[in-house]
This record gives sequence, structure tokens and C-alpha cells, in this order.
Amino acid sequence: MSSRRAARSGGPGVQPLPSPLSRRTLLAGAGVALAAAVTGCGRSAAPTSPGPLHVGAIPDQDPEVLQRLHGTVADAMSAALDLEVAYTPVTDYAAAVSLFRTGDLDLVWFGGLTGVQARLQTPGAEPVAQRDIDRAFTSVFVVNAGTGLAPSGDLAALAPLRFTYGSETSTSGRLMPAWFLREAGVDPQGFPGGPGFSGSHDATLALVASGSYQAGVLNAQVWRSRTEEGVVDPAVVRYAETPPYSDYHWLLGPRAAERTGVPDLRDRLLDFFTGLPAGSPVLELFGAEAFVPVQAADHDRIEEIGRDLGLVS
Amino acid sequence: MTAVLDRAVAPPVLRRDRRRWAWGVGAGAVLLWSLAGAGLFSGDVVNPGGTAQFGRFAAAAWHPALDAQFLGVLARSALVTVAYAAAGTALALVLGAGGAVLVSRTTWGRRRAGWLAARGVLAVPRGLHEAVWGLLLVNVLGLDPWVGVLAIGLPYGAVTAKVFADLVDEVPSGAYRALRAAGAGRPAAALYGLLPPAAGGLLSYALYRLECAVRSAVVLGMVGAGGLGYQLALSFASLRWEQVWSAVYALSLLCLVADVAGRAVRRRLAAPPPSSRRDPVLTATVVGTAVLVGWSCWYLALSPASLVSERTTAQLTHVLGAAWPPATDGDLLRTIGVLAVDTVQMSVVAIAVALLGAVLLAGPAARPAGRSSLGRRVAGALVRGGLLLLRAVPPPVWALVLLFVLLPGVLPGALALGVYTLGVLGRLAAGATEELDPRPRAALTALGARPAGAWLYGVLPLAAGPVLAYALYRWEVAIRDTVLVGLLGAGGLGALLAAELATFDWAAATTVLAAVVVLTWLVDLASDRARAALR
Amino acid sequence: MPPTTGTVRVLGADPAALSGRERRRLRARVGTVHQSLELVGRLRVVHDVNAGRLAQWSAARAAWSLVRPLGLPEVLAALEQLGLADRAFERTERLSGGQRQRVAIARLLVQQPELVLADEPASALDPVLAERALTLLGEPALARGGALVTALHDLGLVRRHCDRVVGLAGGRVVLDAPVAALSAADLAEFYGTSA
Repeated sequence: MSSRRAARSGGPGVQPLPSPLSRRTLLAGAGVALAAAVTGCGRSAAPTSPGPLHVGAIPDQDPEVLQRLHGTVADAMSAALDLEVAYTPVTDYAAAVSLFRTGDLDLVWFGGLTGVQARLQTPGAEPVAQRDIDRAFTSVFVVNAGTGLAPSGDLAALAPLRFTYGSETSTSGRLMPAWFLREAGVDPQGFPGGPGFSGSHDATLALVASGSYQAGVLNAQVWRSRTEEGVVDPAVVRYAETPPYSDYHWLLGPRAAERTGVPDLRDRLLDFFTGLPAGSPVLELFGAEAFVPVQAADHDRIEEIGRDLGLVS
Repeated sequence: MTAVLDRAVAPPVLRRDRRRWAWGVGAGAVLLWSLAGAGLFSGDVVNPGGTAQFGRFAAAAWHPALDAQFLGVLARSALVTVAYAAAGTALALVLGAGGAVLVSRTTWGRRRAGWLAARGVLAVPRGLHEAVWGLLLVNVLGLDPWVGVLAIGLPYGAVTAKVFADLVDEVPSGAYRALRAAGAGRPAAALYGLLPPAAGGLLSYALYRLECAVRSAVVLGMVGAGGLGYQLALSFASLRWEQVWSAVYALSLLCLVADVAGRAVRRRLAAPPPSSRRDPVLTATVVGTAVLVGWSCWYLALSPASLVSERTTAQLTHVLGAAWPPATDGDLLRTIGVLAVDTVQMSVVAIAVALLGAVLLAGPAARPAGRSSLGRRVAGALVRGGLLLLRAVPPPVWALVLLFVLLPGVLPGALALGVYTLGVLGRLAAGATEELDPRPRAALTALGARPAGAWLYGVLPLAAGPVLAYALYRWEVAIRDTVLVGLLGAGGLGALLAAELATFDWAAATTVLAAVVVLTWLVDLASDRARAALR
Repeated sequence: MPPTTGTVRVLGADPAALSGRERRRLRARVGTVHQSLELVGRLRVVHDVNAGRLAQWSAARAAWSLVRPLGLPEVLAALEQLGLADRAFERTERLSGGQRQRVAIARLLVQQPELVLADEPASALDPVLAERALTLLGEPALARGGALVTALHDLGLVRRHCDRVVGLAGGRVVLDAPVAALSAADLAEFYGTSA
């Protein structure tokens, strides 16, 4: 986990298997002598135009499920839009932001904060849609049972505990909890020994269960789903929940419409997302009932808080 | 005549080698200081409540995820990892061979300033971890496979250049000088006088690098470059330990193949078959390696064009523009200073742990010369397998699982790095033990010494030098690796770097990177001096 | 190494039939000077000599002695007899071949074995030291009723220090006689066969 945050690379040929098309396209321009000599020539083909829509997502819950089943998302999108869709799995928040800026990714499922970062670095980028639950997303503060703290709204009681956030630029695992902590008079960078960054919501749960950290905060959606599955260690106690804020959303890059040759791409994507029938596998993968439209202004508060906490520059 | 023998002699006094004595005392002091920094002498560091969490990780080792679908995913991912490792190593060797010419003493002769400057330049690519290179390059090259290849090739190339230069410099230069005296030009003289005697060392080092590259490719995968590391990172994010172990076993298998191949070739080089014809094994190795590299370039679809494309130039300008000038505000510099101390302490504790473990395990892990009992062979294989697993589990995973049973601070990161380094150092120490002269120990056994005594007097004095030299070398590597593990809790410069990069504060990130490079360079210098004192 | 035929008896015991501990005790009673010396070059002379006592020492004692040499008087006395006392704290690898040979003999003196096996113990020594070395090697064994078995090429040394001569050629015993009874004809025949 740490490495993912230590070093936010994104990735080269991030696909586990490069799609044949992109390989051929790249090879066309190539000339790696050795490669050609060994593998036989004649694999080159003219690049197809217009290009495919490059989609990526940073899932916060069950990443391995969504990423390994990304074919589902790509196929559904491709069928609905009559457009070639190439899904690129990304594990790292900052890498996704960079790849969006460089134009390697056209449409990315961002968290609230990373979406704002990406939009600020990429003029012309537009939010498209978000899940129903993202309009009023929350985070849950958890404590180790050993602290003896009973559920309460008083975040100030957390100040003397060893405390861990999730990922550094996670909206639900860092930004908003830090904001609400500060509202409650707790220094979000205080805590004995400084706050930890577990790297993921599940890691936060495990660390608080172990008692190495006495308290932590995570995405409420993950908390609920883990509670329903019954996999939360009894040593972890729900302490408080934050007020709602706007979180995850699909962000579309400025060059996507031109590259794919679909001028009304944003509208068609919005139609696709909002038109997904209940029970569709895509909705299931994203753990949502429905997608709803979203505006840039919906995340103004996130931007403000991000600037305030020094996470958006 | 007898007077010569009976001459009265003043009783001699035991005089310690002052320089080595000083280094020894200094090392002890630094270790104590580091342990104190890790909180070992001030209160609790262990968290017994987390044993269940740690147990879950350990227990999963016995039942890794084995469903066909996941194994298929792993198999395809392994191909990507191999491709990155092979292409990255190939690039490193090309860069290393060129770089070696630039930094070898033979090239510079007496122009010491030039030589020092050339070495200094190499410290920059070497000082940054592959993962750091990966994250820098992704900002310039985006999704191009070159990111992974360059991230391995650049730092490895710099290390390889240094090692190749040392190997060439250590070859007796008589033949080279004789050729020069006979009027040969420098390149020709080097080709005929230096390269042939150094070739064996160069080839076996290249194969060693390949095994390292497989592990690096996995770390790169964890930061997004695909392959086994990517699968491992996904499963790790939701703590699916069964899947994590499957990926670790797959990685171990790759490392094992690279290791066995390297060992076979090294043995072949050490004792070539008595024939004037080409050795078929070595020929097959060279051809096989070339094919593997060719396939890797094709599989990854590497295109030189993307390195010089307009977009690459634009992104490079963007990043450099944001990164220059580096941030120099006092707060940042003070933080860097404090965290640099953490980083050094972390690396010292890590190396001490690894060295202690390596000394204890090197004996059992070494393949005994000659015949040995079945029990001994099984024990040896188990220890070697254990060491392989220690280095196949990436340091960030160690850091998290150790944080379950240790309280946050420098210690979990240090131990994570320690067990990982033990995996590497244990293997190196076992190799060094295997190469020792077995006769002194046999002679001691013949005069009735207990096994412990025979080991203390017949093995330890001989093995101490090479093993300590390896440990000092790994110390320099550990400093770079702290960037990877220092993130949970209080984590040294790595945590700061992560924070700066997460907020895209390039100017501050540049300063932190510069600090990491300088720190690596200083440790390199200290380790170099210490190694000289050992000789 | 098991014998191809027959049995081996060392000081009255069959090594192959002994348990590990018994075999170690037996080994402690046999001292060996190898032709290639088998000293540890990186150790100081004092430790290389002290290694002769490893059969008696516990692991802890052996380890501590590497830090502060134990039994220094005996070591120095042994080295003194061989004219090496002033080099006691030198690293063994810095010594010349002849000096190292004397260190190996000193190790044996400290070990105090009953049976001494010495493979050309005087090959790199000047005549005076060679005499001295052989005397020293024989003494401890004789004092305990044991023996010195040594391979020598210098007949002068043989005549002065040995009682019995066994000549080997091609792995077979071709000569076996008391030194006193050794005649010029015997020798001529022996060297004739071995040549």
C-alpha cells in the first residue's frame, strides 16, 4: 500500500495484457530492430481512426473485483455508445490524475478530491455523472474497543488517540474527515506520533482492529458493506459519522470528443449512465442504484476544503 | 645457533587495528542511536493485540487462492512482469556498458577530478528507487510502456555502470598496459586486454541483475505498471491475503528460475568444459536472452518514437517548469532534516536485523560441498525457500503486516525493510559461505573441535569480510528502499515525498528527491570507506 | 573415508564404530600437521594456535577467546619455542610459509595430543628449525606414551628423530625397518623402486 502512495507511478502498458489493437498501433510506428527480427515482421497495420475512448477508474471498494471485471464496464459502454472503449485499470490516485492530464485517459472515475485536482490541471474537463449515493456521501470514524469510547458525535475525544486515515488523497478517507475534525477543534495533522495513512479502507479497518492505531476513518459505503458481510472484527467499533458531502464522479477530458469523433460525447455518456436499468451489472459493480448528473459546482466545497488543507494547489 | 631460538623476547602486546576498531565502535554507536530513535528504549513498541491480524496474513500462506480464473490472471501478469524485467535489464546493460567506459579508472587514468565528477553524475539515477522513477516518468510519458522499462533501466544502468567499471578496473591491467605500450589505441587495448578476463564477471552480474529486475518489476506493478505487482496491489488493497500469497508464490517462482539459471551459468563460467569449442550452455544462454529481450520489446510494444514525440516534449516541459526552482522554504528544509534522520535510523536498524539473520542463516542455507545427509539437504532447501519468500513479499506488504503487531513509528518500517533485506543478504551470505575454503574447518573438526568452535574459528573469520561488505552495500540500497516503506505511521522521507506528489507540489517534491539523492550518496561514501577499512 | 578392506584402529578404537561425542574425544587425542597447513589466514596467530584447544572449549569460551585471547601463557610458550613469540598478534596471512608452518606446529603443541600425524612438517624450515620442530612434535606424544608419525624426505632428519621407517611406493609398503637397521643398500633399493 505504502508503495502505491510512496510512488505514484501510473502505468505503462498498465493493462495486464495490452490489447492487440494498441499493440499493433504502437508497433506501426516502432522499429525495435531486435523485436522485429525475432518475432517476424508484417504485424504492422495502419492505426484506426477515430481512436477508442480510454476509460479508467480508481475504485475504492473491492478494487480487485472491479478492475479484474473491467470488461463488463467497457463492453456495456461500447455497446451503448457504438464506440470502441479501452478500459485501463489504474490503482493509484495521483497516477490517474496525471494520466488524465496527459490525455492518456479520456474518462475517469475519480474521487471528489482527485476529480478536482484533475479538473484544475486539465482545463476543459467536465464532470459527467455520479452515483446516487455520491451526492450525500459520508465517512465513518471507528475506534478500537479497547479505547472504551462509546459512539458519540464528539470528535474531540479522538485527539489523544493513535489515528490513521486511509489513502493520502482519498476524499472519504482523508479530506472530509480531516475537515470535520478541524471543525470539531482537533488538529487533523496532530494525534500522537502524527496520523498514519493506511493506504486503503480495508487496511484502516485491520489496523484499528489490531490496536496499532486506536482510531481511524473510512468510507461509509465500505463500512456498511463490510458490516453486512460480517467480516468486521468485533474489536472495531463505529464511533461517529460525518455529515454528507459530494464525492465520486465520472470526469471527461477536453480532447475526448474530438479524438473519438463524437461531438456530443458528454451528453451521450450522461444518457448511458443515467439510463442504466436497475440491476445492471455495471451498477452492481459500482455498488449503486443509479447514476445521476453532476456539475462542476457540486464539488466547489471540496475544492475549497482541499485548498484550505493544502491538498489542492 | 640455539641462541637464535632462545633469545629473550619482550612479551608482545595485542594491538587492535585502529581503523577497524574505530569503524566497529562507530557502527555500534550508530546502531544504538538508531535503536533509540526507533523507540526501543523508551516504552512499548509491541502491540500484542494485532497477532490475530498478523496470523490471518501468515495462515493464508498455507492456502493461497488457486481458482483457475485467478491463476490465469496471474500467468498473464507474470508475462508482463518478465517482459518489463527483461527489457529493463537489457536497457540497463546497454547503458551500463556505455557508462562503465565513462566512469572507469582506466578511462580517466590520473585525472581524478574527472573520474569523481563522472561518478557523482551516476549517483543521481542510482539514488532514486525504481518506483520513484516510475512515478516521475508517468508524468512525462503517460501510459507508455517505456515508463516501466526506463524506470528499471535508468537506475539499474547506473548501478551496472559502476559495477562493470569496478570489475574492469580490478582485472590485472598488465595485459592492457602491454597492448598500450605496443601502440594499440585505448578502445582496442581494452577490447583485447580487459574485456576477456572480465567477461565472466560481467555475464554473471548481468544475470544477477535480471533476478533483481523481476522483483523491481513487481514493485513497479504495485505503483501501476501492470503485471504481477499490479495484481498483488489490487488484492493487497482489500487485504485478500490468499490472493496476495498466490502472487508472492508466482513471483518466487520467477525469481527461482532466474536464480537457478544464473547459478548454472556462473558454475559453467567458473569451470568451463575442457574443449576448445563454444560452450553450448553459454551459447544457449546468450541466444535465449536475446530472444527474450526481443520478445519483451514486442510484447510491450515499445516504440522509440514515443520517446521523442511532441507530447512527451510538452509534458516534460510542463513537469520541469513546475519542478524548477525547487522549494527552499525553511519549514520544508527543517522537515526534510528531521525525516532524513528517521530514514537513516530506519536503514541502520534494517541492515542490523538483516545482517544478524544472514549470519545465523548463511550456514544452513549454504549448499555443503561434497555429500551430506538427507536431513541437512532438506533443512538447507527449507531455509533457502524461506529466504526466497522473505524477498518475494514486497516491503510495503511487510510494513503493513508488521504494523499489526508493532506500534506505529520507525520500527515497523525498519523491520519490514530488515526482513526483506534479510531475504537478499541471506542468499548473498550463503553464496559467500559456499565459496569459502573448506579445509580450515575440516582441520579443526579433525582435532576434535565442537561444531560451534569449528564454525567460530574456521568459517566466521573467513566469511566475515565478504558478508560485511555485502551488508554495507545493501545499506546503500536500503536507504533508497526506505522510500517504499516509510509511509505507514512515521515514515521518513518517503512519506513526505508521497505527500508532495499526492498534492502535485512539484517544487517541494524536487527538494525531497534531491535530499534522497544526497543521502544515498553520503551513505554510499560511508559504506565505501567502511569496506576499504575491512580489506 | 571407509577403508576398502580391513579395519582402521586409532589408539585402540575403531573410529567408524564410535558415537559423535566419542569420536570427537578420540580426535582430540590425535594431532595433525597438514601439508597445506589449513590455518585461517584472517585470524591472528594467537587464535590460530588456540584453535588447538577447541576440543576442550565450550562455544562460549571459544567465542570469548576471539575477543580476549585465553590461555595466553601457553600460546606464547609454544610460539617462543618456535621462535615466533613476537608475531603472536600478527595476522597469520602476513606470515611467510615457514613461519606459518611453525604456527601449525604451535597449534599442535597447545593441543597436546597423544598421536601426532605430520605431513612434511619441516619442508619450509631451515635446518636448525627443522630439527627443533621435529623434536617438539615428538615430545608431547612421547610424554604420553604415544607416537609421532611423519612423512619426511630428508633422511638426515629421519635418522636423528625416528625409530622406524616405512617406505611407500605407489600406495604399497615396500620398506619397513627400524631406523638403526636401515642400510645404504635398503635405501638404494627403495629409491630405485620408487623412481
